[in-house]
Amino acid sequence: MKTIKELNDKNIPIVRIDNSLEKYKNMPIFQEKVDKANEVLRTVGLPKLTHK
Amino acid sequence: MRLPRYELKAEKSLMVFEFSSEGPKGQITKLIKFSETTLKGFYNLAFGDKHLETGDIDDTVVSNNGDSEQVLTTVVSAVYSFTEVEKEAWVYATGSTKSRTRLYRIGITKYFEEVNKDFIVFGLINGEWEDFTKEIEYTAFLVRRR
Repeated sequence: MKTIKELNDKNIPIVRIDNSLEKYKNMPIFQEKVDKANEVLRTVGLPKLTHK
Repeated sequence: MRLPRYELKAEKSLMVFEFSSEGPKGQITKLIKFSETTLKGFYNLAFGDKHLETGDIDDTVVSNNGDSEQVLTTVVSAVYSFTEVEKEAWVYATGSTKSRTRLYRIGITKYFEEVNKDFIVFGLINGEWEDFTKEIEYTAFLVRRR
């Protein structure tokens, strides 16, 4: 995992770690959208990666 | 992206972020979450307002805090952070409503040249993914780091 210093050096946003947000990791928030994403995965799948 | 954006807080794995929107309605705390799906490496991106008293998250509320562009830029910066850790991740996003999906499309369109340098961007239309093209009314978006 990248350190915060590494992230900041790479010109991506400064992110402050806040352990109080841990509780949201396993909380089923935005579940309706996750269900829709799963439905798209089931019916459409992934696009073809022709370039990277 | 060096555009104005809010300071982000996150838990250690960078899957949940929080920031404060500031505008005429005052400070509104917003939560961004990259949720796992049934396919490993495929994440749903969603964000919404956090009710400070109950802690409930609402992704349907219209904040009208006059800073929608800065909010979107902040969400994009969270995508940069998340995909810096999960470099192979697919990130899927759609709006809660048609108008919100349209807002996302306008945001991607406006900064497409910059976003396209770092991400492959797809749009979902008629049940198929295609390379993102400006002016097309996609129903969802999918990005992956180049």
